Amino acid sequence: MTGGDLEQRAHALLSQAAHVYRGHPRAAGRLRHTLDRFAGPLRLAVVGEARTGRSTLVNALVGEEIAPVDPATFVTYRDGTQPRAWCHPEQGRPYEVPVTRGPGGLQLGADTAMSRAVVQWPSRVLRRTELIDTPPSVPPGQILPEADAVLLLTPRIGETDLRFLGAGRGLRGPSVHPVHAMVVLTKADTHGDGLPGGLLEARRAARRRRREPAIGALCQDVVAVSPMIGHAARTLRDDEYLVIARIAALPKAEADPFLLSTDRFTAAGSLTVVDQQARIALLRRLGLGGIRLALALTRTGSTTRAELADRLHEHSGLKELQASIGELFVARRAALKARSALIVLDQILRTELLPPSPQLLAELELLMAGAHDYAEMRLLSALRSGRVELPAETALEALRLLGGAGTSLGERLGLPTEATVDDIWAAAGSSAELWREEAALGSRTPAQRRAAAVVLRSCEAILADLTVTTP
Amino acid sequence: MDTIDAVIRTCHTHGRPDLAEQLTRRRGRLLHPELRVLVTGTAQQGRSRLVNALINAPVCGILPDGDAALPVVVRHAAAPAAHLIRRESPTVDWTVAVGMQARTPLAPERLGASLAEAAATLPAGAPVHVDVAVPRSLLAGGLVLIDGPALHSVAEARDLADRAGADLVLWTCEAGRQLSDAELGVVSALSQVFPGLLVVLTKADYTADWRHDLAESRQRLNRAGIAAAVTAVSSSLRVHAVRAGDEALNKESGFTDLIVYLRQMVEAKPDRLARAAAGALSRMALQELAVPLHAELANQDDDGSSETVAHLQATHRRLDELRKSTVRWQNRLSDEVTDLMSDIEHDLRDRVKALLAEADEFFTTADPAKSWDEFEPWLRQSLQDLARTSMSWLTERTEWMARRTADMFPEDAGDVLPPAAPTVGRDSLAGLSGLDAPPVAEFTPGQKLFIGLRGSYGGIVMFGLATTLAGMSLINPISIGGGALFGGKSVRDESKTLLKRRQAEARVAVRQYVDDIFTKLNKDARDSVRRVQRALRDHFTAVTEDLQEAAMESLRDAKAAADRDAAARELRGRNLRTELARLTELNTQALALSDRARA
Repeated sequence: MTGGDLEQRAHALLSQAAHVYRGHPRAAGRLRHTLDRFAGPLRLAVVGEARTGRSTLVNALVGEEIAPVDPATFVTYRDGTQPRAWCHPEQGRPYEVPVTRGPGGLQLGADTAMSRAVVQWPSRVLRRTELIDTPPSVPPGQILPEADAVLLLTPRIGETDLRFLGAGRGLRGPSVHPVHAMVVLTKADTHGDGLPGGLLEARRAARRRRREPAIGALCQDVVAVSPMIGHAARTLRDDEYLVIARIAALPKAEADPFLLSTDRFTAAGSLTVVDQQARIALLRRLGLGGIRLALALTRTGSTTRAELADRLHEHSGLKELQASIGELFVARRAALKARSALIVLDQILRTELLPPSPQLLAELELLMAGAHDYAEMRLLSALRSGRVELPAETALEALRLLGGAGTSLGERLGLPTEATVDDIWAAAGSSAELWREEAALGSRTPAQRRAAAVVLRSCEAILADLTVTTP
Repeated sequence: MDTIDAVIRTCHTHGRPDLAEQLTRRRGRLLHPELRVLVTGTAQQGRSRLVNALINAPVCGILPDGDAALPVVVRHAAAPAAHLIRRESPTVDWTVAVGMQARTPLAPERLGASLAEAAATLPAGAPVHVDVAVPRSLLAGGLVLIDGPALHSVAEARDLADRAGADLVLWTCEAGRQLSDAELGVVSALSQVFPGLLVVLTKADYTADWRHDLAESRQRLNRAGIAAAVTAVSSSLRVHAVRAGDEALNKESGFTDLIVYLRQMVEAKPDRLARAAAGALSRMALQELAVPLHAELANQDDDGSSETVAHLQATHRRLDELRKSTVRWQNRLSDEVTDLMSDIEHDLRDRVKALLAEADEFFTTADPAKSWDEFEPWLRQSLQDLARTSMSWLTERTEWMARRTADMFPEDAGDVLPPAAPTVGRDSLAGLSGLDAPPVAEFTPGQKLFIGLRGSYGGIVMFGLATTLAGMSLINPISIGGGALFGGKSVRDESKTLLKRRQAEARVAVRQYVDDIFTKLNKDARDSVRRVQRALRDHFTAVTEDLQEAAMESLRDAKAAADRDAAARELRGRNLRTELARLTELNTQALALSDRARA
């Protein structure tokens, strides 16, 4: 079964439940809401304590300065043709409010206390993914029902973070697969004294953490990111590049003493090649670590703004995060949306008992038991993090077959778009054969055999799909 | 020191040897010339870097995995040396000297590698720390730096500070981040026991507006009422400064201030710091001691009804109950007796009436003169039966009455029934004299003859006169026949009349007799009822008296107990108050000590 099938069956089940529960205002309302959302884009919540860089990360992901709107409310950013905003007050109906763009994000003309706000902003990034900026220290029970997937921001993974992740993982039903969460280690730039090597160190630390079973069992990925540098990289302006280039042009020995501390960098008499205000502005944008990194990159060959921005983007870890989001969340949005919708359905079926409820519940369980997507996603995460290790050659193929490079048939089988049906049949058949052998190899560890069995099932699903489409 | 000694003694008298032991340990340490500074904070806040920068040597946090770094104690020595020290158990003080087998020497020049080797040989989770000695003028004054493990909770922090033998605590927190509420709690708890606690904002070089953070932290601490100073440092600047020998940079790093502060503390240790610590410790201990006392006092005040008082009240209630029950049982008894008497009379009358009816019935047909001998024993037997049944019924009724009356006693009075039911006079008809046959008018043959002749006379005359008309003589066979007929009839009539009279007489005699018996029986029954009543009354009165006596006794006891208890509580309360006053006095002394230390 592939993502589309899962989505269809989940939708059918939800519609059936909506029909059954049409007489129950509460359940019917929730189901209708869930069905409405089912058609929309993936909802990705950005969660974290105060000052962990949530809004900066939202900006970095969108590539524009829109957040924060109001740090005390849930703000949903979605795509639209023109900037508009709606305010959802605590009570009453939502209403549209004027939106203006200020220096520190968007400003809404709302005068009442909002419980949540929806901002529509034209952006390609938001087309398939809605971003939800959450207030700090909100219990997981409030966030998880709002989102299909979660980015948990934390400087280092502590008890509270594990508790948050644990809260998203249920004991039964659709929530047993923790495929919805990703941990983002922010402030990656502060590692290693904020020297350019610190980001690498942070990434190594993230890799170590992601391999830990206690963490790997609760989330899909751990990525180290400096949202500040990432955001600056995506929105680097020419004048900023000029300032960086001018400082980089100075001899290293002359510039370095002023890069020791923020005080020195912004002091009135230092680095006279650049105006003090420009330096302060730059520090605000990039941080000291970012400036050091940018200077190092400029000195080692980034000669244009675009080049520098690109390398900063990569070094900040934002690129890796975007790739992870794309691969683990966006590409799998059908499965993720089905998961969050089915969690709601599961809850309704168990709490509001009607005569047809047990039957619907059984159907839901059947659907979950047949949903191979989640097993694929977990194995993808395990392979990426190194919790499960396959020989290099097979590992690549496994990633591909599991949909790590794209979930379409061609992408999974690694075939060019002009491949004929026969080619596809042949490739799928040989892959299935290969992985059947792999799953039975005595020399593999149990974990590897289990992984091979999952890949084999993916191959079989491909074959089953082929049978349906080409009789 | 006198104050702290007094507090230690107080701790002992209050049954808190643990507190006393803790205080004794701290007291011993206060007298020690070296100043042990514990550098701690939550994870990844630059603790190790701070210590390293202070002594300008990479000795802390050198294991690759930052969070699991071993605690390091850095002290002064002429030549560098390092040991991995394994403590016997997690609760043993770090300052306790350990034997050679628990010390693993490490190579000071390649500390990281040898430490990793040595640590690998130890079981996981073993309580170890690294003891590093380096020749540094900063440490020469007796300063010992301890790079502690990361702390998260108040209990953990107190325990660590106590075990590590700290005199001073530096709490690290990176700039650009607010002190969290949990951290504030830990800092607050530590600052109560460790005067001079300093919050160090690290990584000041990296944060753009660390001055703002510094001010904000000061404000937060002030608002939380925590007496702790805040300073900001930058370890990396210090490292650069020392490497380059740049005095200005060193100043910028904020370490000069920190070092001055530490030196001051070393100097102040035997005098001001010790005094302040003693004051703070004493206050803390006294507060801890005062808590249960206050609680007890408060308990006493608002919870006046202790057990004895409750018992007293219960006894009072019992006595009242008893009094009420006396009236109740008396009423019940008299009611029952009245009922019983009327019932008995009615019953007797019923039975007698039935008997009489039977006797009457008997005499409508039987001739008393002939069947008296048969009748008389039957009558006697019936009367005796009647008396017996009625008496046994009476006995049952009296027993029932006794039970009903006993029911009126309070439940907790126990079994108050008389041991044996009061006896009812039995066999009251034992000496029943037989009923003599009523005097029967004899119908002798002479009388019969006479009556016969008298009757036949009329017949002879009547028939003779009629037959004379037919020419016969007055005395002729017909008239003689008529005379015999009339004479016979007269005799039969006469004897019938006589029978009727005898029967009537017998009935009257029986009625009289039975009436007598009834009166006698009734009287007997009434007498026995009265006797029973008297017996029951006496019995229950005695029981009531006994119960009342017992209740009075227990009331007296309860009263005495309550009095004793009140006195004891009063005494305890007084003791508590004096004890609290003593504690307050000691507290004032401790406060004065702290104030003098501050002055």
